[in-house]
Amino acid sequence: MFNGLVLGALLALISAGLTIIYGTLGVLNLAHGAMFMLGGYAGYVAYAYTQSFLVALIAGAVFVLLVGLAMERSIIRFFYQRPAEDQILVTFGLAICFVEIVRYAFGSLSKTVPPPPWAMGITSLGFLFYPTYRLLVVGIVIAALLALYLLLYRTRIGMIVRAGIEDSGMVDALGINVYRVFMLVFGIGAMAAGFAGIVNAPVVSLTPDVGESILVQSFVVVVIGGVGSFPGAVLGGLIAGEIISITSMLNPAYAYVMLFAVMTLVLVVRPQGLLGIQGRE
Amino acid sequence: MVHHPFRQRLSRRQLLGAATLTAAGGWLCEGAHPLTSIARAADHPALGTYPAGSTGSSVFIGITVPRTGTYAVQGEDELKGYQLAVEHINTGHDLIKKISPKTSKGILGKELKFGVADSEAKPNTAVQEQSRFISENKAVLITGSTSSAVAVALNKLAQREKVLYVAGISGSNDTTGKDCVRYGFRQCFYGQTAAAAIGPVIVKSLGKNKKAAYLTPDYTYGHTVQHSMEDYLNKNAGWTTVTNQVAPLGAPDYSSYLLNVANSGAEVLLNVNWGHDAVLSIQQAKQFGILDKMQLVVPYQTPFLAREVGSGLLAGVYAATDFWWTLEDKYPLAKTFVEAFDKKYGYKPEWGANNAYMEFALWADAVENAGSFYPPDVIKSYEAGRKLQSTVGEVYFRPEDHQLVRPVIIVRGKKPGDMKNKEDFYDVVEIIPGEGLMQKPDAFGCSLGSYT
Amino acid sequence: MKQATHPNADLPILALAAVGLLAVPFALPPLGFAPNTVNQILVWGLFGIGFDILFGFAGLLSFGQSAFYGTGGFVAAYLLTRAGSTSVLLSLCLGTLAAAAASFVVGLVALRRTGIYFAMITVAIAEVFYFVEFSPLSSYTGGENGLPGVPTPRFEFGSLVYDIGSGWSMYAFIAVCYFIGIVIALRIVRSPVGAIFVAIRENPLRAAAVGHDVHGYKLVAFVIAAAYAGFAGGLLGVVQGFMPPDAFTFDTSGQLVMQTVIGGVGMLFGPLLGATVWLFLRDFLQSAFDLGSAWKLVLGVVFVLLVTFLRGGLLGGLKRATAWLMRRAGIGQPRRGLAPAEAHSLTSIGSSRRREATAFAGPALATRGLTKVFGGLTANKNLNFSVPRGELRGIIGPNGAGKSTFFKMLTCEMRPTSGRIIFQGRDITALSVASVCQLGLTKTYQVNQLFNGLTTRENIAIAALAERRGKLSLDLLRRWHRVSGLEAQVETTLAIVGLTEHGDVPASELAYGNKRRLEIGLALATEPAVLLLDEPLAGMSPRERKDTVQLLKSIRRGRTLIIVEHDMDAVFELAERITVLHEGALLAEGTPAEIQRNRQVQEAYLGGLAAA
Repeated sequence: MFNGLVLGALLALISAGLTIIYGTLGVLNLAHGAMFMLGGYAGYVAYAYTQSFLVALIAGAVFVLLVGLAMERSIIRFFYQRPAEDQILVTFGLAICFVEIVRYAFGSLSKTVPPPPWAMGITSLGFLFYPTYRLLVVGIVIAALLALYLLLYRTRIGMIVRAGIEDSGMVDALGINVYRVFMLVFGIGAMAAGFAGIVNAPVVSLTPDVGESILVQSFVVVVIGGVGSFPGAVLGGLIAGEIISITSMLNPAYAYVMLFAVMTLVLVVRPQGLLGIQGRE
Repeated sequence: MVHHPFRQRLSRRQLLGAATLTAAGGWLCEGAHPLTSIARAADHPALGTYPAGSTGSSVFIGITVPRTGTYAVQGEDELKGYQLAVEHINTGHDLIKKISPKTSKGILGKELKFGVADSEAKPNTAVQEQSRFISENKAVLITGSTSSAVAVALNKLAQREKVLYVAGISGSNDTTGKDCVRYGFRQCFYGQTAAAAIGPVIVKSLGKNKKAAYLTPDYTYGHTVQHSMEDYLNKNAGWTTVTNQVAPLGAPDYSSYLLNVANSGAEVLLNVNWGHDAVLSIQQAKQFGILDKMQLVVPYQTPFLAREVGSGLLAGVYAATDFWWTLEDKYPLAKTFVEAFDKKYGYKPEWGANNAYMEFALWADAVENAGSFYPPDVIKSYEAGRKLQSTVGEVYFRPEDHQLVRPVIIVRGKKPGDMKNKEDFYDVVEIIPGEGLMQKPDAFGCSLGSYT
Repeated sequence: MKQATHPNADLPILALAAVGLLAVPFALPPLGFAPNTVNQILVWGLFGIGFDILFGFAGLLSFGQSAFYGTGGFVAAYLLTRAGSTSVLLSLCLGTLAAAAASFVVGLVALRRTGIYFAMITVAIAEVFYFVEFSPLSSYTGGENGLPGVPTPRFEFGSLVYDIGSGWSMYAFIAVCYFIGIVIALRIVRSPVGAIFVAIRENPLRAAAVGHDVHGYKLVAFVIAAAYAGFAGGLLGVVQGFMPPDAFTFDTSGQLVMQTVIGGVGMLFGPLLGATVWLFLRDFLQSAFDLGSAWKLVLGVVFVLLVTFLRGGLLGGLKRATAWLMRRAGIGQPRRGLAPAEAHSLTSIGSSRRREATAFAGPALATRGLTKVFGGLTANKNLNFSVPRGELRGIIGPNGAGKSTFFKMLTCEMRPTSGRIIFQGRDITALSVASVCQLGLTKTYQVNQLFNGLTTRENIAIAALAERRGKLSLDLLRRWHRVSGLEAQVETTLAIVGLTEHGDVPASELAYGNKRRLEIGLALATEPAVLLLDEPLAGMSPRERKDTVQLLKSIRRGRTLIIVEHDMDAVFELAERITVLHEGALLAEGTPAEIQRNRQVQEAYLGGLAAA
C-alpha cells in the first residue's frame, strides 16, 4: 500500500504535466515520456559536473522547461490549428528524435545518479523498512504537486489555464495573449515530467528508453482520472500506483494487466474519467 | 518445420515472378539448371549460398546485433569482438593461428568481409536483416544475438536457408536444446551449465539448508535458469525456496518484488534477471537494504553488469560467467586477446566480445579443416570434435547438439578498495571444467535435422 | 480518391498496381532490393492498407494495430505449427477472423472515445495483448521465442502441385495476396461505407446528424483494419518461417504509423511506399554511411519534417506536384464526380419512407415538461410545446432565452434533465441523433456543419445515403453511386437548394451564402418530415437573405418546419405561428399578428434591450 503511494505520486506528477498541456492547448504530447527521460539525463550531466544532487534536480527541471519552450515555439505552435491526429504524430516523431539523440550522445549504457548521501540507506517505518530516498521522493513530489496546484489555482496564469481547460473560447474572449500562456503551459507541463525524471533517476537508472513505459502508464492515469483534469491526474496517479503495488503483492506479473483492466472498467462505467468533464474529447 | 526437398531448391534458384509458378515443374529435376555447372571443386551441388558466396576473392559474413534498444550495450561490445576477429583472420594474427592452426591469412585464402545491421534485439528484424545478407550478399556465415529469442529465430533461419549460424550471446537451454539445428553452433555457457557450475561453489561458501529468494524475468530463459538453480540447490544442498518473484521483461521498477523479497526471510537472493533488468533490480535491491541482509548470487552474468551497477554493489557477490579478463593471468591466449582488444577499443573486453571473437576463430578452424565452404563439410568438420585452444583453455564442440564444451567461470565481486584498476571488478574464484556440467545431449530434446 | 466514382475509374489504378507488382522482380534487384526485403515490404504494405482505411479514411489514429497483427499471426502460426493444420490459406483466414473478433471486442471499449482518448486507449490495450502473448499464453505462443517452423503454402490443382519457397516464389504468393487486398480495399473505399468513413473523418457530428450510426461505422472500420492486420501478421509468419513475438510490440504499431504517414495517408498505396522508404533507408543508412544506431534518428527527423511540411506524405506530395505541373501546362484536371445532373424536376423526388410515415395525424413534434439544468442554472424549465403537422413555426426570444438548448434537445443532441419529447406520437427522448434523423427529424446548424473536404454533390450524397440505407448497413462491396435512387435524390436536392452548378466544387471553397444553402441541403437530403432550422439567415447579406427566405418557402410543402431566427422580419414573414421563449420558459405563442401585439413579448424584448 505504502509502496503504491511512491509510484502513484510520481505518476501523478507526470500525468499532471500531460493533462495540463492537453487541457489548455488541446495537444496530446507523445513526447512526454521523452521529457521524463531528458530531465533525468540533464540531471545526470549536472550531477557529473557538480556532484550536487540539488543542482542536478534544478538542472533537470530547468533544462526540460527550456526544451519544452523551444519545442513549443519552433514546432508545436504551428500545430494548434491542425487536427489532433497531426499533433499526436508530430510529438510521436519528436519523441523518437529525442530518444535517439540521447542514445547517440550517451550510448545505451545505463547511467546512475546517486541519491544525496544523507538520503541513502533505509528508514524504519515501524511496519516496514523502506529506502530513505524513496520516502524523500514522496516528499519532493508532493511539494511539486503542491507548487503546481498553487500555480494553477492561485495565480493569474493558473486562472487562464483553468479557464482554457473549461472552455477554450473563453480565453480568447478575455483578450489575453494566449500564445504566451500556451508557451508557458507547454514548458511547465514538460517541466513536470522532466522534474519527475530527475527525481526518479536515483531510483531507476537512466537509459534512453526509460520514458516509453512511463508514457503508457501516464496515459492510463489520465484516462482513469479524466483528460484535462488536474485533480483527476492526481487521483488517477494514486489509484494506478495502488493497483500496481497491491497486485504485485499477490502476483507481480499481472500488475499491468490489472491496471489496464481497471482503465477499461472506468471507460465502460464512466467514459469521461473519474473527474473528467463530460462531453470533452 | 516442414522440410520439403523441392522447395529449398526452388528458392535457391532465385526464381522470378509469378510466371515461374507454372514453370516450376520443369525446374525440379536436379542438374537441369546451369548453376549446377558452377558447383565445382569437390563436385558439391549448390546448397544455401554455396557456391555463389565463395567463388570470389572474399566471403561475406552477416552480423546482426542490437544497436538500439535495451541490449544495445551488449550488442556494441559483441560487435567489437567480431570486428577484431575479422581483422585478425584477415591479417593472420598470431592469436588466430593458435586457435585455428591452419589459418594463414583469411579463410581458405579468401578475405573476410562483413555487413552489420541493427537487430534492435528483435527476432523479426534480425531474421529480416540476415535474410537480406544471405540473398543479397551471399553470406556464408551469419551471426549475432544478445538474447535467446534472436538466437533461436536465427537457428531456424540458418537451417532453412542452409547457411551456417554461430550464436552470439544466448543463455537459454533451448538454443542447443529443443530448438537446436544442424546449421547452428553455440560457444557460450547457458542456463544448465551456469547452474551446475555455480551451485556447488555457493553451497561450499554459503552452506547447506539455506532459504533462497529468486528474482526471475518472465520468459523462457529466466524460467529455465531459475528451475536449473532451484533443482540443484534444493536436491543437493537442502535449500528451500521461500519466494520466486517473477517480473515482466523490462520492468522499470522492482520495488514491489523487492518488498516481497525483503519480507520473505530469505538468506540468499538469486537474481536471474539479465541485461538492464539485472542492473536495475540489483541497484534497487541495494536501496531496499536487501543486499545488506542477504547474499546476492547472479547465476548468469550480464556483460557490463559491474560497470553499470557501480559503486561496489557487487562486492562479495557470486556470479557465473563465460569469460572475465583477469583470466589473462592463467591463459596466455586470453592475455593476447585482452591486450589486443584493449589496445584497439580502450577497455577490457566483456564476455560478449570474447564470445564473438571465439565464434569466428572456431569457425575459421572448422572451414580450414573442411577445406571447403560447402556447408555440410564445414558442419562435419565442427562435429569432428577436435580439441582446440581457446581463451579459456582447451575446448571442443559436442557433435550431438553443437554446443561447445567449455569451462564456466565463477567470479566474486571485489570491494572497491581491493580493485587494482578501475576495471578490476571480480576475482576469479573457480574455473569449472565443462564436461561435468552438461546435460546428456538428448536431455533437452535436441534433434539437429538434416545436412542438406 | 473519392471523387473517382466512374464505374471503371479504378481499372487504371489496378492495372498500374498489377504491372508494378509484375515488374518488381525485374526492376528492384539491380537497385539493391533482395526478394526477402520486397516480401517484407509487401507484408507491411498489406498491414498498412487496413490502417489506411482506419486512419486515412475514417480518421481514427490507432497506435495499437500490433495487437491484431500479432493476434492474426500467432493464431495462424499456432494452427500451422502446433495444431496440425496443413492448409496455409485456411490458417491465414482463421487468423484474420481471430484478429477481427478481437478488434470487435476492443473496439466496443476503445471507440467509446475518439481522437486523443482513442489513441491513448489503443496504446494501452496493445500493451495488454503483448503481455498476454508473452507470459500467460507463452505455452501456446512460445513466449519470447515466438513460433518457429511456420510452413510455406503448397497448392494442388489436380495433379499440379505448387510449392511456394522463399525468395521470388514467395513473392509471387504475397504479391497476389497484396493485389487482392488492394482490390478489396478499393471496393470498400468506393462503397457507401467508404464514403461514410470519409464523412465521419470530416465531420462526425454531422455524419451522425444526417442519420448515420457513427459508432457502428467506426467499429466497422476498426474491424476491417484489424482483419488486414491479422492477415498480414499471418503472412509475416509464413514469409519468415517464424512468427516473431515482436509483432506485438508498441514499436510495430509505431513503425506502421510512421510508414503510412511517410508514404501518404488516405491513398491505400501510402503504406507500401512508406515501408519501401523505411526499409531501404534503414539498410542504406547503416551500410552506406555506417551510421550504426543513428539510422532511427534520421528516420525520426524525416518523419517530423514530413508531418510538419508535407502532411500528405510522399504520395500526397507527388500528387500535388503533378497537379501543379498540369496546371502550369494548362491542362485542366477534370473533376470526376457523380454524373452531371440530368434534368430532374423539383417534384420528382421518389417515394420516401419518411414522407409516407407522416400519415400520423397528431402533432408532428411535441414536448412535455421539458427542463434542462446546467449546474445551478436552469436553461429551460417545464416547456410544453406542440407543432401540428405541416406548420411553419417560428421560435424567437431575446438572447439567453434558452432557444439553442431547446433546439438541441429537440433533435436529441442534448439530453433533457427531465421531460419528454414526442415525435409523431413516439417518445424519442432517449434516442440518438442518428436515430431521430432516421425517423425523419433533423436540423440545420447555426454554424455550418459541412463535410468540408468533399464536393457539394458528395456532401448531399452522404446525407442521402443515410436516408436510402438506414443507420448502419454493411454494403462494403457495392459502389456508392449505384445505391438505387441515390442519384435522383442528390440531383433533386441540389436543384432545390440551387447548387447544381456548384456540384463539383469542394464545400470548403463555396461562397458563404452557398455554404448556408448546402447546410440546408444536407438536412433536406435526409428527407425529413420535421426540419428544424437554427438561424438559417445568420451572417447573410440582404440579398442572400431574400433568396434563402424564398428557398425556405419552397421547401415547406409537405414538411413541418421550425425556425429559430433573430431576423424578425423574416420570421414574421415566414411563420404561421410563433413561439416566444423568455428566460428559459414559454412566454407566448400565437400568429405573427398576435405576437406583435403581445405586451409581454414587447416587454421582454424591450427589457432585454434596456438591460443591454
